[in-house]
Amino acid sequence: MKLLVVEDEIKTGDYLRQGLVESGFVVDLARTGLDGHHLALTGSYDLIILDVMLPDVDGWRIMQSLRDSKSPTPVLFLTARDSVEDRVKGLELGADDYLVKPFAFAELLARVRTLLRRGAAPAANDQMQVANLMLDIPRRRAERNGTRITLTNKEFALLELLVRRQGEVLPRSLIASQVWDMNFDSDTNVIDVAIRRLRAKIDDEYEPKLIHTVRGMGYMLDVNDPTPSR
Amino acid sequence: MKRRPVSLAVRLTVSIGAVITVVLLAFGWIIERSINNHFIQQDVDELNSVLQALQHTIATLPDNYDPEALQATFASAISGHHNAQYRISTSTGSVIYSTPGSDLERFAKLSQPVDHIEIDTVGIWQGHDETYRGAVVQVTPDSQTGMQNLTITVATGINFHLHYLESFRNYLRLVTAAAALIAITFTWLAVHQGHAPIRRISREIGRIKSDQLHIRLAPDTVPAELVELARSFNQMLDRLEDVFRRLSDFSGDIAHELRTPITNIRTQTEVALSQARSVDQYQEILYSNLEEYDRMAKMVGDMLFLAQADNKLLKPEFIAIDLEAEIRTLFDYFGAWAEERGVTLEVSGEPARMLGDRLMIRRALSNLLSNAIRHTPEGETVSVRLQGTAATTSGVVKVRIQNPGSAIPAEHLPRIFERFYRPDSSRQRSGEGAGLGLAIAKSIIDAHGGTISATSNDEATVFEISSPGFDCSTQEKSS
Repeated sequence: MKLLVVEDEIKTGDYLRQGLVESGFVVDLARTGLDGHHLALTGSYDLIILDVMLPDVDGWRIMQSLRDSKSPTPVLFLTARDSVEDRVKGLELGADDYLVKPFAFAELLARVRTLLRRGAAPAANDQMQVANLMLDIPRRRAERNGTRITLTNKEFALLELLVRRQGEVLPRSLIASQVWDMNFDSDTNVIDVAIRRLRAKIDDEYEPKLIHTVRGMGYMLDVNDPTPSR
Repeated sequence: MKRRPVSLAVRLTVSIGAVITVVLLAFGWIIERSINNHFIQQDVDELNSVLQALQHTIATLPDNYDPEALQATFASAISGHHNAQYRISTSTGSVIYSTPGSDLERFAKLSQPVDHIEIDTVGIWQGHDETYRGAVVQVTPDSQTGMQNLTITVATGINFHLHYLESFRNYLRLVTAAAALIAITFTWLAVHQGHAPIRRISREIGRIKSDQLHIRLAPDTVPAELVELARSFNQMLDRLEDVFRRLSDFSGDIAHELRTPITNIRTQTEVALSQARSVDQYQEILYSNLEEYDRMAKMVGDMLFLAQADNKLLKPEFIAIDLEAEIRTLFDYFGAWAEERGVTLEVSGEPARMLGDRLMIRRALSNLLSNAIRHTPEGETVSVRLQGTAATTSGVVKVRIQNPGSAIPAEHLPRIFERFYRPDSSRQRSGEGAGLGLAIAKSIIDAHGGTISATSNDEATVFEISSPGFDCSTQEKSS
């Protein structure tokens, strides 16, 4: 997957590139609006991450040109101004998603993956399996090591999200938004409690442990612990 | 372009001046008229007495008279009326007597004869060098004398009256003009003087700078008309001072709230770098930093939201919201957390719907609910009570969120919705947010035209939202 990042802030650009490269993407970084404009129109990218506040050619212009040339490339824009007008303008110009600075990198990563997945055929699996965890989506049943596990609706939805996005770090805000439709930060540890309960049901008595806490970022479900040192 | 209204002083002066001038003119006209009438009456009296004397003379004429003697008799018929002239003629037109040098013939021909000489039957005509007032009277003698009907024309010169009137009129004009001028000048001075308190207040107001918002006008020292102005100005200052104080408190709070995490991160990083450490330790430090950054980012986000609310930039997208469904969604979300704390959640009441922005309303309710759950002792219940539009005549829906627990002291209640305000200082920075949750809830409810209030006693603390309701029976289609 090849991404274009247009970001004039040097540190931000470097870290975005590093983070995305380490997450397995091929990344081109444009440090000026002009370069970004050129690359966006000539290169072939799966997704463009665009800072709208650029000193020369601003993000809106680039987005406009992209849409004028009928390019289907999804665009995620980054903005420091959290004003309604900005958001509306970006989405009207055909942006697919936006993030307000400062954002959590895990959040950006999760959004990027969501956008990239959007084009692909939906994995309409009825059955999903990770190690010895089995999910039967239509019947909303979970089994671990052959044993049926009773889950509440929300617990099942949470587990399904984790399994569908296996190997990805999911920020708490994303979990709250996807499972409970809470699209704002809460100052409670509701997600931690929910995960703890889910863990007690599907992980505590079984091996291997599947749900992992990524400190400071969120949770992920994977066969391997991402932080082996801990 | 809109024209500036005419100045108050000019307006008052012009209108008062106009009134005074009109009154003076009317007064002058009445005086002049009454003097004129008086003169006419004098003339009429004189003409009547002349006429009487002539009639008397005619009545006492001898049977046979010769024209010579007749002339002499009529010439001396009157005395003491040296201005009077008269002319006596018969019905055939022959003149019996005419005051020498008079010019009464033309007048006698032009005038209609009258029965009595009165103010409105006398006429005026212009002689050679004199103006006359006079009348023509038909006299029928009681005729042993055999004299025929006689026409007597009497007139008196009125030049001296006219001269007097003329000079009086001029004098009156002069006096009127002078009086009006003086009146207008004094009016202007009085008005100007009357505006002195306004200028004084204006100077006082002009002296109030942004750092002296505590200065107030003294309503006791201004005239009664300006007391209201002074009061409202003082009230405006009250509001301004309050907002100013809050703003500066807010900036101070921001600095304080940000300083603490920055100090943490900085110290931690410096200490970490002061000697070589294991990868684990570095990782630990980075994680810890990440948590601080998260907290700061959230605080900045919340403050931006509040700043937008302050600048009226929150633009709710109104849709009909079923409040009970919202509460149940939130219960679903907070359920596990509340259970872990041993807190039960319950909702009761009637269906309540309002128009609002779903995301914002959910955020406001979420902040209130999490606040309530957090302050509820283990084993107790947070109860939400809904009141629909049907219960009230005002079309208001109410959400009461009630939690048992220690009371919020009365002195803290009014300030509980202020930013960064934490009644319990020991709870500061215990990872429960920056104290913006209730402020955000309030600004959201404000943006929806509702009100939010808090009451607290030893049994329970209650937060109540009142908001314009939405009657689903009349507007079914939007949902």
